[in-house]
Amino acid sequence: MPKALTRRVVFQPDAYQGIQKGINLMASIVRPTLGPSARTVAIERMSNKEAAELLDDGGTITRRIIQFGDRDADMGAMLVRHLLWRLQEQVGDGTATAATLFQAVYNQGLHYVVAGGNPMHLRRHLEHGAQLIVDQLDNLTLQVAGKAKLAQLAESICHEPALAGLLGEIFDIVGQHGHVDIRRGHGRELERHYVEGMFWESSLFSTHMFNDQLKLRADLQNAALLISDLEITDVHLLVPLLDMAMAAEIHTLVLLASELSERSIAFLLQASREPEKFQVVAVKTPGLGTLEQAEAMEDLVVLTGGRALLQAAGDSLSHVTVEDFGHARKIWADKSTFGVVAGKGNPRELRRHITSVRALLEHTEDEHVVTRLRQRVSKLMGGSATLLLAPSTEAENTVQEALARRTIAALRAALRNGVLLGSGRSLLACRSKLQQQLVASEDPDERAAYRILIKALEEPLRTIVGNAGYDPGTVMAEINDAAQGFGFDVRCGRVVDLAQAGIFDVAAAQKAAVYGAIAGAAHALTIDVLIHSKNPQYVAMT
Amino acid sequence: MTTTDDLSLAIADRVDSVLALAASPGFEHDHTCFAARESGLYRSGDGGVSWHYLYDSLKLTGPLTTTAVALSPEWQTDQRVFAGVDGGILRSTDGGKEWVIMNVATPPPLVSTVVVSPNFAADGIVIAGTLEDGVFRSADRGNSWQPWNFGLLDLCVLVLAISPDFIHDEMLFAGTETGLFRSTNGGRAWREVNFPAEHAPVVSLALSPASDTEAVVFVGTEEAGLFCSRDGGDSWQQLGSDTIKDTVSAIVVSPQFALCPELLVLSSSALLISQDSGESWSERQLDRDAELEMSMLLTPQGIGPDAPLLIGCSDGSVLRVS
Repeated sequence: MPKALTRRVVFQPDAYQGIQKGINLMASIVRPTLGPSARTVAIERMSNKEAAELLDDGGTITRRIIQFGDRDADMGAMLVRHLLWRLQEQVGDGTATAATLFQAVYNQGLHYVVAGGNPMHLRRHLEHGAQLIVDQLDNLTLQVAGKAKLAQLAESICHEPALAGLLGEIFDIVGQHGHVDIRRGHGRELERHYVEGMFWESSLFSTHMFNDQLKLRADLQNAALLISDLEITDVHLLVPLLDMAMAAEIHTLVLLASELSERSIAFLLQASREPEKFQVVAVKTPGLGTLEQAEAMEDLVVLTGGRALLQAAGDSLSHVTVEDFGHARKIWADKSTFGVVAGKGNPRELRRHITSVRALLEHTEDEHVVTRLRQRVSKLMGGSATLLLAPSTEAENTVQEALARRTIAALRAALRNGVLLGSGRSLLACRSKLQQQLVASEDPDERAAYRILIKALEEPLRTIVGNAGYDPGTVMAEINDAAQGFGFDVRCGRVVDLAQAGIFDVAAAQKAAVYGAIAGAAHALTIDVLIHSKNPQYVAMT
Repeated sequence: MTTTDDLSLAIADRVDSVLALAASPGFEHDHTCFAARESGLYRSGDGGVSWHYLYDSLKLTGPLTTTAVALSPEWQTDQRVFAGVDGGILRSTDGGKEWVIMNVATPPPLVSTVVVSPNFAADGIVIAGTLEDGVFRSADRGNSWQPWNFGLLDLCVLVLAISPDFIHDEMLFAGTETGLFRSTNGGRAWREVNFPAEHAPVVSLALSPASDTEAVVFVGTEEAGLFCSRDGGDSWQQLGSDTIKDTVSAIVVSPQFALCPELLVLSSSALLISQDSGESWSERQLDRDAELEMSMLLTPQGIGPDAPLLIGCSDGSVLRVS
């Protein structure tokens, strides 16, 4: 046997100890980041010339950790890492809660298994308990709306009041499906602006078509639009087209084409020599590739009420009728963008179209496609927002952008699936259901599972309180005596009405964290033997 | 007693519809009201008995169709009037003597409706609906205007209604050619309300006054009658289906709706009154030409047996009912 394929096998009790050590190690790294008084984790960079990276979100922290020296512990740590990475990708939040729960369930579960409990039975009951908790959380979910509440929620995620305030306003305006561009600004403060209407990356065929040569921009009012992906090379076909437009009292015409010959451009410029009487400009059909181009034309047809002339369908300029023109109150184009404001399409058609694009969005998981569909829905619904960051360095820009993206993902999830009362309170509220199940059950493994979960559900709150410098035992006693809906606000050190104080967690993130952590820990409890390659590089390659 | 007084127009041949009416918040004492017509804007200082044309200072060469008029809630001190016209918005700060043409947008919009925030003194918010360009909003007393059409999928806005509790709920409704939309952030974003699309266009709107319970929304349509929602627009109930047949031009809700659920509805041929939240209706008899179509209703002192009513008609006259 080649040396690279030789294995090292680890049996009990070393296997349990190794896995437990890794889980505790990874969870302990992430635990300080839980709650509004979270602390940061410093990670040394690959290059010694740069300062350490300071991070406060579990997903990114664990992604930075590739491997631990202790190979047994590494296997346990990677189970947690994988869960947190996945959570961050899917819901953008809840990673520290998940790490805390994972650790609590595994450690208690291990006690039970070592004492003779059946890990497979325990796993089944833990997973059932996880589902009960998620069902309870469903019942406790609230809808969030309004700039103030969204800003409070954003602040509980990013801990940056300025960013939270702007994102609260942005999502109050653009809504759950709203598209938010994040760009590097030039000021010293965060800014935002809103772009009205629908726009695409595209440009005029000639800069001579700009009607504002200073701003390098064409602004056209009450314009007709011919939507096509045709390659226009025969200038003779343009003559009847323009004649027809003029006869229909169209004074401003925008022509979309995928190609336009030099002679055609010259002809259109000549036709526009008296723009107060008639003006025609030509824009490249927006969209990169056939699919995006088709989508852009489909959206334009609905927005403006025209008909698309498609090369693939054998259409040509000689087929055009006046009814084929779309219309809009305003069409604009600059060096890189082409936009339509207040298209005169049928609003009922627009609603149907948005519903169909939204349906596609709901059934798509590919991040690239999701982004593209969301952009379309957002712009079809009236516009999009741009958040301008204010970093002083490139490194700061990267950090700000990552934070903004994470908060945006969480806000979107909150608008879609609601929120839960925060500060660990909703998890505590699930204990009563588990307690009922515990009383009703006579199966020792099932009872053990409920006991483990009841205790584990306290752990996120204890961690939040501990991270803020308070005594978890004292605070737990206060909360247990408090009325429903009240919880501990670590910012002021008091028990408060959580809804009034705006302390919320994103429901989707909490549910994903709870289910993922409990199911992950339950699965880890069934690991009995570890097998290592003597040459891990070889294993990685294969 | 019902009296009919034709508008005393300077130009006798201007017989055109009354498109909007507005009254001073202190109407009881100053008897000031405004009538927006296809020929321009008119003001009365005697409760609608006599009227005078307000656009003389603009030195217009032809009639300027005025489609909307709204007064500042601080009228007694600021004398501010907003007039929606074909092409934008005019503002006066002296009760209508002098006007400033506000630069709303390019191309110039046809304004269909204007509403002013009840908290205007503090927030300076004025919102205008247009027939092709959606909603424009000013937060600086009408000095500058921005389009805010996020979520407004139909830009043909026929009517706007502002919540009486706007200071707290920032709620507005927009009735359009194809449906009903609601804003909960002072008109900066809109979400479609679950109003049956087949009943659109929505041509009139009214909200019950602020109270502890959720506002009741009343919607008047062009052809489908009157509807109300008591759950913020999730479900709708048709009111007076056997009585209200014509276009519902205006709806007025009693200022004490929770205690006295009284409603007035103006259709093109009848003024209807309900005292039980729309369950039953009776027609209020008016001394008028039966052929005359009624287009607009104003209740400057609320609903009540002695409260005056002003009814704008399609021939340009204003009925004064007291």
